[in-house]
Amino acid sequence: MRILLVEDDPLLGDGLRAGLRQLGFLVDWVRDGEAAERELRAEPYGAAVLDLGLPLKDGMDVLVSIRRAGIALPVLVLTARDAVPERIRGLDVGADDYVLKPVDLHELAARLRALVRRAHGQPQERLCALDVVLEPASRSVTRAGLPVPLAAREFDLLHALMLNAGRVLSRDQLERHLYSWGQEVDSNAIEVHVHHLRRKLGASLIQTVRGVGYLLARDDPTPP
Amino acid sequence: MRLPRSLQGRLLVMVLGLVVAVWLATAVMTWIDVRHELDELLDSHLAQAAALLVVQQVGEFEDEDHQIDAPSLHHYAPKVAFQVFHEGRLALRSANAPAQPMLDRSSPVDDGFRTIEIDGTTWRVFATRGGARDVQVFVGEQVQSRASILWAVLRSTLAPMMFALPLLALAAGWAVRQGLAPLRALGRAVEQRNPQALQPVVLKDPPSEMIPTLAALNGLFGRIDDLMASERRFTADAAHELRTPIAAIRAQAQVALGATDDAERRHALRQTLQGCDRAARLVEQLLTLSRLESGASPEMVEFDLGALARQVVAEVTPKALARRQDIECRAGDRALVRGDATLLSVLVRNLVDNAVRYSPDGAHIGISVTTAADGSVELSVDDSGPGMTASDIERAGERFFRVVGNGQSGSGLGLSITRRIADVHRATVRVTRSASLGGLCVMVRFARGTGI
Repeated sequence: MRILLVEDDPLLGDGLRAGLRQLGFLVDWVRDGEAAERELRAEPYGAAVLDLGLPLKDGMDVLVSIRRAGIALPVLVLTARDAVPERIRGLDVGADDYVLKPVDLHELAARLRALVRRAHGQPQERLCALDVVLEPASRSVTRAGLPVPLAAREFDLLHALMLNAGRVLSRDQLERHLYSWGQEVDSNAIEVHVHHLRRKLGASLIQTVRGVGYLLARDDPTPP
Repeated sequence: MRLPRSLQGRLLVMVLGLVVAVWLATAVMTWIDVRHELDELLDSHLAQAAALLVVQQVGEFEDEDHQIDAPSLHHYAPKVAFQVFHEGRLALRSANAPAQPMLDRSSPVDDGFRTIEIDGTTWRVFATRGGARDVQVFVGEQVQSRASILWAVLRSTLAPMMFALPLLALAAGWAVRQGLAPLRALGRAVEQRNPQALQPVVLKDPPSEMIPTLAALNGLFGRIDDLMASERRFTADAAHELRTPIAAIRAQAQVALGATDDAERRHALRQTLQGCDRAARLVEQLLTLSRLESGASPEMVEFDLGALARQVVAEVTPKALARRQDIECRAGDRALVRGDATLLSVLVRNLVDNAVRYSPDGAHIGISVTTAADGSVELSVDDSGPGMTASDIERAGERFFRVVGNGQSGSGLGLSITRRIADVHRATVRVTRSASLGGLCVMVRFARGTGI
């Protein structure tokens, strides 16, 4: 899961980035409001953690302008502004969650997962497709009840496909879901990961749409 | 005499005291006046009675001793007595008159009035002689009867006052109490309010004497309200500012806990320590500011600001050198100011620290202390950093104001502390664009003999 972290305090930003990475997120960190808006418009982040007191452009203004631009990604506001009117305003202009500093890293991660889940219309944390079950919190995958060990990148790829079940994702989109800035991406990296996933979870799970990308069929819960 | 502590008691004592005094004076004057008139009237009656006796008795004293026998016509009569002597013998006397002459008859000048004592009773006696000098008449009247007339007159004056006084006291007490009601209302109004309620006291139609007190009291309430509001704002701001460093410490500590490799853990722990240092610095700054705001008067001594500046620059230099900054201190000798050395070293350190912190690597920083001809001393800290925009310069010194995008984790308190310290020393602070180095210039000017 790729997250944009917007925080101008060097010490806190560094800590949040390191902590969220430990918990399995891919984190890109920007330090001012203008950079935040630019990144949010350009990249397919799963969610954003947004401070409000930001240089160049206030976090609240960033929120207003991305919502106006129709960007719907989940935004968690993390701020020291604790006054009730501020919280109300934050939620009203488009924040999906409003969290006060200081925050526990595990709680922050759980809130981000919940935001992502709700954004994809999932009623529960666990994702299912055929006989494959993915648990985002523990980053574990089982097939027919048996645990399947996956590399971090393979897990992220499967997670992205399962969250977007029923939609075709291009190779480029998948790369941007899987790699944060400055990470080397081999030209055939996605093919390699898909190949590994098919080997571990069965060939029928992920379908290739030639010339377009990959698709994970929506698991219809109601029997025909 | 000690007056009662209560205003009501005081007024009552004074009013009743004055009434009694005026009344006693009236009584004394009445007494003097009445006694004088009474004496004149009764003396003239004595003289007249004597004249009648003289006229009547001429030629009627051939017989022996006609004792008494003037009829007792009035119950007052026993208090009046007379003696008539004819050729040296007692010819006639009233029943209550003594046998001996009331006055010494041999005295050559014994005509007229005399007050004498006979057998323990005081008499007023009038003596006269007939035209042939052989008849001598004494008419006396007991002085006590005069006293009782006098007393009767006085009693009729004093008695009504005796009854009136307690009534007057009650009435005056009620009136004074009514008059002081606004004072009690004010007392109740102030007593009943809780410490948070600092809106002005409003009394309906306050008496003009109370308006200054009321205005002063309401003014005080206003000032306390302002002070409390600023305290509350300060506490809120401080709590708010501490959230970010604490959040950073928490996040870094959790990273250290969850780290899988040693380098990551060490980095997170170092960051945690740095966060603690920052929080501690912030707390220290908040305390300094709070102490300054509380208005405790610092200890003012005369010392050399130049020496202080050199000392601070020496302490900061390693930090500047680590960033390849060029730091220069031009401080003349004996730049004397009066002030609190600890506070002023905080001021100088804040300014120099800010210059080092907010200027880029390799920047120039100049500190100068100069004494002008009028004896004022100016400290100026210039840098070649990015400076501040005009609107930022305007806001500089507000609590927690930070220039955005400087990449530094300051608290925004340094310059507001500097300003407070300058205020305490009656020094002026000017923030401008540095003419010499192009960045920011902060000047603090101590007028001659400033600092109380």
